[in-house]
Amino acid sequence: MIGQVLGHYRVVAKIGEGGMGVVYRAYDEVLHRDVALKVVKKGVALGSSGGQNLLREARASSALSHPNICTIYEVGETDGELYIVMELVEGKTLQSMSAETGLSPDAVLRYGVQIASALGRAHDRGIAHRDLKSANIVVTPEGLVKVLDFGLAKRSGAEAFQGSSQSLATLEEVSSVSGTLAYMAPEIFRGEAADYRSDLWALGVVLYETASGAPPFEGRTGFELSSAILREQPKPLGPPAPPGLWSVIQRCLAKEPAQRYQHAGEVQAALEAVQSGAMTGTGSNADRVARPTTTILHNVRHVRVRKGDFLLLVGTSKGAFILKSNIQRRRWEVGGPYFHGYAIYAAAYDDRAGRHRIWASTQNYWGTLLRSSDDFGKSWTTPQEATIRFPADTGLSLKNIWQIALGRPDEPDSIFCGVEPAALFETSDDGETWSFVRGLFDHPHRPRWMPGNGGLALHTIVLDPQDRQRMYVAISAGGVYRTEDGGNTWTAQNRGIRAVHMPNKYPEFGQCIHKVVMHPARPERLFLQSHWGLYRSDDHAENWKDIANGVPSDFGFAMIMHPRNPDCAYIVPVESDEFRCACDGRLRVYRTRNAGASWEPLMRGLPQKGAYETVLRDALTADSLDPLGIYLGTRSGQVFGSRDEGKSWERILEGLPPVLCVRSTVVADASDPSSRTRPATSRPPSTLRQKSATSGRSGGKKKKR
Amino acid sequence: MPITFHIPGALREFTDGHSTVEIEASPATLAGALAALCAQYPGIRDRITTEQGEIRQHINVFIGEENVRYTGRLASRVSDGAEISILPAVSGGR
Repeated sequence: MIGQVLGHYRVVAKIGEGGMGVVYRAYDEVLHRDVALKVVKKGVALGSSGGQNLLREARASSALSHPNICTIYEVGETDGELYIVMELVEGKTLQSMSAETGLSPDAVLRYGVQIASALGRAHDRGIAHRDLKSANIVVTPEGLVKVLDFGLAKRSGAEAFQGSSQSLATLEEVSSVSGTLAYMAPEIFRGEAADYRSDLWALGVVLYETASGAPPFEGRTGFELSSAILREQPKPLGPPAPPGLWSVIQRCLAKEPAQRYQHAGEVQAALEAVQSGAMTGTGSNADRVARPTTTILHNVRHVRVRKGDFLLLVGTSKGAFILKSNIQRRRWEVGGPYFHGYAIYAAAYDDRAGRHRIWASTQNYWGTLLRSSDDFGKSWTTPQEATIRFPADTGLSLKNIWQIALGRPDEPDSIFCGVEPAALFETSDDGETWSFVRGLFDHPHRPRWMPGNGGLALHTIVLDPQDRQRMYVAISAGGVYRTEDGGNTWTAQNRGIRAVHMPNKYPEFGQCIHKVVMHPARPERLFLQSHWGLYRSDDHAENWKDIANGVPSDFGFAMIMHPRNPDCAYIVPVESDEFRCACDGRLRVYRTRNAGASWEPLMRGLPQKGAYETVLRDALTADSLDPLGIYLGTRSGQVFGSRDEGKSWERILEGLPPVLCVRSTVVADASDPSSRTRPATSRPPSTLRQKSATSGRSGGKKKKR
Repeated sequence: MPITFHIPGALREFTDGHSTVEIEASPATLAGALAALCAQYPGIRDRITTEQGEIRQHINVFIGEENVRYTGRLASRVSDGAEISILPAVSGGR
């Protein structure tokens, strides 16, 4: 090849050889400059769609102009030889520079910023690198980073992992061919689609390797290596690497793409922050670096939501998350965590009257508040004064808000909240002022309600959509209560429900109810999951019938109703009162399609071994789509979804704090509320609401602010 | 001598970001001192006390180095120039 001319390039000398082909130094006889010329191996380029893709992407990459990207000048073909002409970059690869001991933190940050900047530019142009590795990154004698081979990755490398044929042979073949296995992101091994975030994973590997001299994941065989990438956490980087750098790397190396940075620009900004010492303990003072430091990352990610997007609101014991997808629900972005360190027991999405408001209850040692956001989490109301509060004469103080129940569609400013200690609050002015529902509180049974393990909570509110005067609440452990006069008077409705913890097994009240659901088109029909027991009522809760037919346990928390089929309900049974985990370590949703005459397990895609999970009472939800989508969150912080009425499930996210509640919605309108006409009662979009008077103190309505 | 409140990070959004707040009034008790603080920064009150006016279970208020839980709670005496710290208790594990 030396001395030959390809196009107008005269081949001068061989520089190197890689998986794609041989690289030569060449001379451009038209423009009179030195170039690098890569002659692509025939198997790589031709005869397959891979070859076409390669050509297309090489052309796309040639449009990239960035100081840290090795420019592609031309892609050509002569006599069946496909070649790529590139800027000739002279210097050392990052791999050779960082071998064994790694580089100084300053150097890692300096180079890291440049790599991230290069990725950012490429990603903005729709080009993923796909084969980022330290051997593909050259540092010139002037210290300028050049990322090579943008978009030229041998696609078959990634494609070998798509689908089910993940044999040891393929892994090692790919490994030996391209040497990229160590940089491959977990999703590629899982057979999921790779995207820009797979590049950010690779960047994390490069940063780790550059800082320490060793890769974050190792294995003697391709199989061992892929196992480590999928399951293990890298050994923490200690000094001299600053904690901030380690934080950035950790986030790049999150197993789930949704938990990584979502754009290379964010990595660049984070690395620059570490450079400037802005993050944590990154000064040059050795004492500061050596001291153990608690890194507090208050980096909250926001999702951009558009009309038609699909959202899951996930409340956890340590904050709220907003998971966004489109209607296909295959790829998810994660917004949050909102309310660091607060438990979110209740959430709701209010799209009545053209709103797109997210409600959340936040609870920790500073108290419990009801908060809302009209911009999908970017800003939240921060009431100066708690809006839900017990009147002075009750002597009680609010411990938690367990349930946020939106009023009927034709009462768009009505919301109910169920709280602990057990009581009901309502607003008829869109949450500005709340009133205490005295009728329930004054019920003669109330002093004899007994707190359950979770406290004495009113956690379930069911409104009859056809009768404005009728609603139900459920209390642990008080039972089901119904009003037929809009909340003035209430009656216990527990006939037929067992109370295993009482000497009289069928008392008038005192049952520990976990969830009650109603079919909207047949409001006389309710299903009920009790502390022990599954029941159905077909007469507005006058009588309850045991329907625990063929379930592994009639103990459980969560229950939902199919919105269109009044015979169909879903539950997640758990084992025994003491254990409270999925039966036999198999996470299974059970469904009845015959009003409880029988139940069938739904498990495809859900973990069936060692899954000692619990799905709490509000951590199971359904959407309004057809076929029905169902979503659940677990105590171990996993979120699963089904697009086919529960037949098959996919894991959407893992690694969250324990999930307390999940709600879903399709966004009908995502426009800025200030740009459209607000409903008359809507409040200004201020994030710091001043005093909002409550009726709780005086028992009557007060003026709005 | 004014009374100085030390405000924890979580509550500074209600004190315009101030980590210390000086109260010029000279109240006799903690209740009075808190009232003066909350008059200036109303968002503080519901974070520290319940709607029944008691200091929240997992919030500690110190006058100097004394936890008011053992010195009479809101009735604790506040001397001129006192330094009052509001801190969440070390609790948790959940």
